[in-house]
Amino acid sequence: MRSTPPWTADLSSVAHTAAALAAAYRVGLASALAAWPVLLGRAVFYGVCLTILGAFWGKVAAEHLPGTLAARLPAGGLGRYVGVTELITLSVTTIQLRLEDELRSGALEPHLLRPKHYLAQTLAGEAGGMSARFAVLGAAGLALLAATGGPWPSVSALAGVVVLAVLGAFVGVLLFTLVGLTAFWLRRVLPALLITQKLIFLLGGLFAPIALYPPWLHAIAVATPFAAHIAFAGEAMLAPSWTQFARALAAQLAWIAVLGALAALMWRAGLAKTLREGV
Amino acid sequence: MGALSTYRAQAALAIRTSFSDRTNFVLLVLGMAVNNGFWLILWFLFFTGFRQVGGWRMGDLARLLGILYTLFGVATVFAGGYRDMAGAILRGEIDALLTQPKPVLARMLARESIASAWGDLSTGVLILAVSARLDLAGAALAVAAVAIGAVAWLSAGVIFSSLAFWVAGARSLSRDLMDFTLMFASYPGPIYGGWAKVAAFTVLPAGFVAIAPVDLVRRPSLEAAGIAVGAAAAYAALALAVFSLGLRRYRRGASPGS
Repeated sequence: MRSTPPWTADLSSVAHTAAALAAAYRVGLASALAAWPVLLGRAVFYGVCLTILGAFWGKVAAEHLPGTLAARLPAGGLGRYVGVTELITLSVTTIQLRLEDELRSGALEPHLLRPKHYLAQTLAGEAGGMSARFAVLGAAGLALLAATGGPWPSVSALAGVVVLAVLGAFVGVLLFTLVGLTAFWLRRVLPALLITQKLIFLLGGLFAPIALYPPWLHAIAVATPFAAHIAFAGEAMLAPSWTQFARALAAQLAWIAVLGALAALMWRAGLAKTLREGV
Repeated sequence: MGALSTYRAQAALAIRTSFSDRTNFVLLVLGMAVNNGFWLILWFLFFTGFRQVGGWRMGDLARLLGILYTLFGVATVFAGGYRDMAGAILRGEIDALLTQPKPVLARMLARESIASAWGDLSTGVLILAVSARLDLAGAALAVAAVAIGAVAWLSAGVIFSSLAFWVAGARSLSRDLMDFTLMFASYPGPIYGGWAKVAAFTVLPAGFVAIAPVDLVRRPSLEAAGIAVGAAAAYAALALAVFSLGLRRYRRGASPGS
């Protein structure tokens, strides 16, 4: 009888896991695309956000009060920055609601009987949904840029922004996964969600570019996953540079690893609690 | 039992239900209060750096947010049924109300009270009391502005939700329209110009939910009062008309989208 080397079995298991994750990703992508009216509505919402925030920053830049931060605003305004940061924000799916529903209702139970890891499969599916949103909103953003007649960024700068924005959106999915996993301990994840959202606004640069912050707040912001989620891609749109790109990419990959590990730990602790005490 | 007492009884029941899980209630209220406080800090940082926008300073924005949070809190605590009224219509939950002699709209509005809205209500009142620098007359005007804004906001909620009598996908559409309105309403009025201003005072009545009531507090005048009250009354009348029209269609057995 010929024995199979152990590493072959390991490789086969990795391949099966990867195939299952790819299938979940495809299902998430296809589901999001099938709900095209929702995507269309989101694109309209994206347009509304850009209109309001564009009008707001346009007014701030036009007033150009001496002795204020207005002098530090980029010459072309913050339209492009807002375009990228809102693109990332609106691409992130509401994974926290799905986790809350399934963890609190007990719908998790049948998933635990399956040979695939629930959290990894859910994340892959949500990444598929995120990709569909990103593609549609990205196309809408480019169409708006063309319609407003603004100068186009170079192809290499645009490619860099796309890479950082996609990774930033995935950092966001992981952040909201952590929010969703608090459902193991909290009945509703809304308080955790509200606090996370506000940290994204402040430290992620969703409200204003973190480059405008005082140095101490800027230093805190860049050291958090919130900047990796939003600010790095937005800043790459304002002032593209390969050094900044490499630094941002490294930070995003590091945060993906850290947040992924944290999610796995929370999952293990939460599941142990649920199996011990019930929902 | 009159329509008002029916409404009062049902709203009281909905509020008691929202209190039932104490821990959850406290967490939701505190979460919303922290959320609103954080938003105010963001604006404080903004005005520290940029001083003003369109003539608005921090005090003006505090008035806007105070009024907006309070009116949202009042509407969502005491008439929280508007939040998912489109979903309730689409699920046919209105059928049970049609067999009863009480007004349908009042019961639809009173059937739910959202716990987190107490957080909006409390932070709104706190902001108005502490940051908006209102004297007695200003406080009275702020109360009037909250009442006017709440009527406009609820009217918008009823109009958008009533789309469910005609459109099958109205649940998410009405939510989106409410979100757009809230977003438009939470920025200083002077930033809007052109078609954005037209939208803010027509399709999405953000102008009448917050901008006109806040103008009444900032620069009180008969004209400002007339505009704010008149618009809120007009939106309320429109909401009643649209809901009645939709209900009549529903009673005939027509389903959304048909």
